[in-house]
Amino acid sequence: MSTHDWYIENRAGFVARSLEPREERTFRDHLVRCEECAREVARLERELGWLPMGAVPVAPPPGFSRRMAADVLDRPNRWRRWLPLAAAAVLALASGAAALAERNQGRDLRDLLLARESRLAALEDTLSVLRRANMVLQTQISMNGHQGGMLIFQDAASHRWCVIVHGLPPAPVGNKYQFWFITESGMVRSVEVNAEMERPAFMTLPMPGVAAPVMGAALTMEPVVNRSDEPRGPTLAHVVF
Amino acid sequence: MPRSEPPHGKAGDPSPDGPSGRRPLALAGEATLRQRLVARDEQALVELIEQASPWLLGLTTSMLSDQDEAEEVVLEVFATAWERIGAVSDEHDALLPWLLRIARNRAIDRLRRRRRWRLKLARAEAYGELPAERVRAKEVNEAGQPGWHVHESVHAALERLPPDQREVVRLAYFQGLTHSEIAQRLGIPMGTVKTRLRLAFDKLRLSLAAIKDWVA
Repeated sequence: MSTHDWYIENRAGFVARSLEPREERTFRDHLVRCEECAREVARLERELGWLPMGAVPVAPPPGFSRRMAADVLDRPNRWRRWLPLAAAAVLALASGAAALAERNQGRDLRDLLLARESRLAALEDTLSVLRRANMVLQTQISMNGHQGGMLIFQDAASHRWCVIVHGLPPAPVGNKYQFWFITESGMVRSVEVNAEMERPAFMTLPMPGVAAPVMGAALTMEPVVNRSDEPRGPTLAHVVF
Repeated sequence: MPRSEPPHGKAGDPSPDGPSGRRPLALAGEATLRQRLVARDEQALVELIEQASPWLLGLTTSMLSDQDEAEEVVLEVFATAWERIGAVSDEHDALLPWLLRIARNRAIDRLRRRRRWRLKLARAEAYGELPAERVRAKEVNEAGQPGWHVHESVHAALERLPPDQREVVRLAYFQGLTHSEIAQRLGIPMGTVKTRLRLAFDKLRLSLAAIKDWVA
C-alpha cells in the first residue's frame, strides 16, 4: 500500500473524526498539499452534511434564543470590561515598583536605574501581552463566600499568557493556590498564586516547555507540601479553549 | 438503540421566546438570511438561533449528555457563525449542515478532553446512545418541527445500514470515538472498523443525496 493509499483509506475516518489525534494532524497537513484528497474530503463532508440531523431535536428552554443572541453579541466585547482591572493591576505593580525604588534611595544610583529600567521593561512587556492578546478567557471562582475570578490573556505571537486572579482571600494556612496549564498530555504545574483581597495577583507566564498543545488552565488549592506533577487538591476553576 | 429523550420537552412545542410563525430554514430563504447576517442584522441572528437551535441542541445534548455543556457548545457555534458568516465562501452550502459540523466538532473536542482527563467519563459512557429508536408517541407533534422530514430521512438511512455498520457510525460519528477505541469496544480489528465506516458512509452519501432542502 502506497502512502497515498493510506490517505484514501482514511478519508472516511477523517470526516468522522475517528482518526487518532496524531493521524488527524498528519491527514490535515496532507490536505494542504493534496488537491485530490481535499476535494474528496470536502465532497464527503458536504454529502454527509445532513447526517447530524439523525439526532432527535431538543426544544430549547424558555428564553433560550434571546439569551443566546445576547451572549453572542456581547461576546467580542466581554473581555474589554476587564481592561480597567488589568490596567489597574499594571498600575498597582508599577506603583509598587516605584515605591520599592523610593525605599532604596540609599543604594547605588546606577543599580537603582538599572533595576527601574528592568522593571519598566517588564511592565512594558506585560502590557504588550495584554495589547496583543488574541484570546481572553475568564471564569468565576467562589472561595469561602468570596466571589473572585481568573482572567487569562493569551498572546499567541509570543507564546505567553497574562494571568490575573482577583477577589480571592489568602490561601488557608498549610495550603496554596496553584496555577496549572492543561495540555493534551495532562496537567503541567505552573506558578503558585499569591492571592490577596486588596489587589489582584498578576502574572506573565511563558507557555510550558512541552510538546503537547496547551488547551486551557486550572487553579487548584494544594497543600503547601505537594510538589507532585499532578494536582491533589480541589479544582477552584478551569478554563478551556 | 433507544433514542434519548429531549430534556426540555418536545422540539415541536411552541417556542415561548420566538415569533409564533417560525419559518423553515430553507435554502431558498437562506440567501436572504445569510445576507442579513453578513450585514450584522441582529434580528437575523435571533431567527437563525430560533430555527437551528433544536437541531444543534439535539446533537450536542445526545453527544455530551450534559445540558449545560450542550448549550455552551451551541453558544460557541452561533458565536463562530456570527464571526465567520462573511467569510464562508461557498454560498451554495446550506447553513444548517455547516452549523451542525461546527457543533459536532466542538462536541467531539469536549468529549476527547473529557476522556483525557477522565472526568465525567462514567456519565458519558452510561448515556449517549445516539440516534436510535424514535419515540413514536411524539411523532405527530414533532412533525411540526421544521426540518423534521430531514430527520426522518436520515434516521431511515441509518436504519437501512447493516447493524454492525450502523454501530460503527454511531460510535465514530456521534460519539467521537477513534478507530482504536471502537475496535477495543467492539472487539474487532481496527481494519474492520475502517472498512465498516467506509462502507456505511458510501451508503449514507447515496441515501442523503436526496435531501436537497429542508422545507417543512
